Amino acid sequence: MTATEFALRTDGLGKRYRKGWALRDCTLALPAGGVIALVGPNGAGKTTLLRLIVGLLAPSTGTVEVLGHDVTASTPQTLSRVGFLAQDHPLYKRFTVAEMLRFGRACNLRFDQGLAERRLAKLGIPLDRRAGTLSGGQQAQVALALALAKRPDLLVLDEPVASLDPLARHEFLQVLMGAVAEGGVTVLFSSHVVHELERVCDHLVVLNHGRVTLTGDIDTLLAEHRLLVGPRTTTDLDRAGTVVEAVHSDRHTTLLVRDGAIPAAPGWQARPIALEDLVLAYLRRPFEPSAAATSGAAA
Amino acid sequence: MTWLIWRQHRTEVCVLGLLVGMFGVALLVLGEQAHALFPGGAARCAGETGVYEACVASFRRLDEEYGFIENLLAGFYLVPVVIGAFLGAPLLARELEDGTWQLAWTQAVPRMRWLAAKLAALAGVTVALTGMFTAVLTWFRQPFDAWEGRFQYDAFDVEGLVPVAYALFAFGVATAAGAILRRSLPAFGVAFGAFLAVRMSVAMLARPAYATPLTAMEPVPVGGPEEQAGPVPSSADWMIEHGYADATGRRLSWAEYYELEATANRAGTNLHQFLHTKGIQEFTVYHPADRFWTFQLIEAALFVAVAAILIGVVVWRVRRRMI
Repeated sequence: MTATEFALRTDGLGKRYRKGWALRDCTLALPAGGVIALVGPNGAGKTTLLRLIVGLLAPSTGTVEVLGHDVTASTPQTLSRVGFLAQDHPLYKRFTVAEMLRFGRACNLRFDQGLAERRLAKLGIPLDRRAGTLSGGQQAQVALALALAKRPDLLVLDEPVASLDPLARHEFLQVLMGAVAEGGVTVLFSSHVVHELERVCDHLVVLNHGRVTLTGDIDTLLAEHRLLVGPRTTTDLDRAGTVVEAVHSDRHTTLLVRDGAIPAAPGWQARPIALEDLVLAYLRRPFEPSAAATSGAAA
Repeated sequence: MTWLIWRQHRTEVCVLGLLVGMFGVALLVLGEQAHALFPGGAARCAGETGVYEACVASFRRLDEEYGFIENLLAGFYLVPVVIGAFLGAPLLARELEDGTWQLAWTQAVPRMRWLAAKLAALAGVTVALTGMFTAVLTWFRQPFDAWEGRFQYDAFDVEGLVPVAYALFAFGVATAAGAILRRSLPAFGVAFGAFLAVRMSVAMLARPAYATPLTAMEPVPVGGPEEQAGPVPSSADWMIEHGYADATGRRLSWAEYYELEATANRAGTNLHQFLHTKGIQEFTVYHPADRFWTFQLIEAALFVAVAAILIGVVVWRVRRRMI
């Protein structure tokens, strides 16, 4: 794989605020094309990582390379390749929607005003309304239309649907996925909600306590991990360090293992694991630096 | 960028422009009438040849009819802070409090270019509005200045170059406070407080020391102040200190002076005569009126330099992506 086939590469990326490290030792290589989900609980460092990726923050350690370019360079060319939709989709509240589009046109190199207007017309959002008077879902749609009209190669969204009601959330994801289907854009978005991800995402990054605990292609991750259910036992569970999590009930022990589906020991039953359970298992795990897992997708 | 800056800041610019325009026109109209009291120009009346009869009458009318405006004008020392802080406070703070900085700085305009354009445009408006207002005010005050000099606080602080420098200082404080506090209103408050504190301490402590003041020393005349030889220093000069010294030129403390006064009273002699025979001298420490522009330049440079440092801090923070 050559460098430009990666949408994003980070190496030893870290960010330290006065209070302490928000993100540490983040090394990622995410492929171009498709949808990447960044998952983690509140305060895990998702927003910090995304702001570092789009160049809003400067890293304390390490480097970020987006589409083969160092983001700290911040030239108009590199900036125009990355779109960003911040949390709570900020807009200039006193601008009309048309003025927001004019802002996009004035501040970008390859802004497609017609595209944005068509998208907004399809959603029935009037151009002469002030942005601040629109509903939350409509504001999110305007912000998304603005980011897409920039025609970025990488679109980064920070908790895009967190503040939306279920209907608006559905509509938003529909528009986003429609844009992905039209091709040409890699989408990276963060979320603390895990369900629904399987349907829309190709790639997963799990962040917890400022560290990457799991990253990989979702299909590969699901194929590599299994649940093994057997009689209750508390000894010698970890065969060559493949056990991610062990849960004991009165009579049974359930192991989550990452063993590439080698045959199970006699007396043990193997079951596939749902993505949500997989993510939760990794989030529950206490952090051990050596166990920071990377998967086959980057290989 | 030009359109964006105008769209984002047109409310402040229009409100300030309207206020400056209204006060400016009012001052022009009133000033026209006040100037009309001096057909030959007010400056001639303050010539060294002394004040003519007609001039005295004119000045008396000026004081009676327009003196109240002069008193009101003293309040206009706040105009620079209103203009500067009103334009500076929202520059970054509004983007930070609404989260739109994330929108503004992820378009294809690099943040330093964005910041440079905003700073240049809004500092330019600050200078233009304050400059226009100060020009009108300085013109309006011409007859008053001819009478009272330009070194008094109600003249020096609102005339010439310094108001523009004050406004830039307020703009710098408000912008920097906005970048750090991330709120427009507190940033405005900080700028207001800093403006009052710095302006007052500079005017009272630093300004007298911009140059070594001159000292005029002469024996107390027999007949008291009425008999004083000449107007040195004149009313246009800026008097810093006034007191008495003995025959050798040693300055007397006020306690010593009161003792002399008491001695004169006990002896039953006329105080001035008593002081005269004792060889007591009267001294005045002052800055001559012609130092006005030197002092204006020094004070303006001081405030512009501080403004530049504050803007430098803002630029540094944005450049380092500390926001």
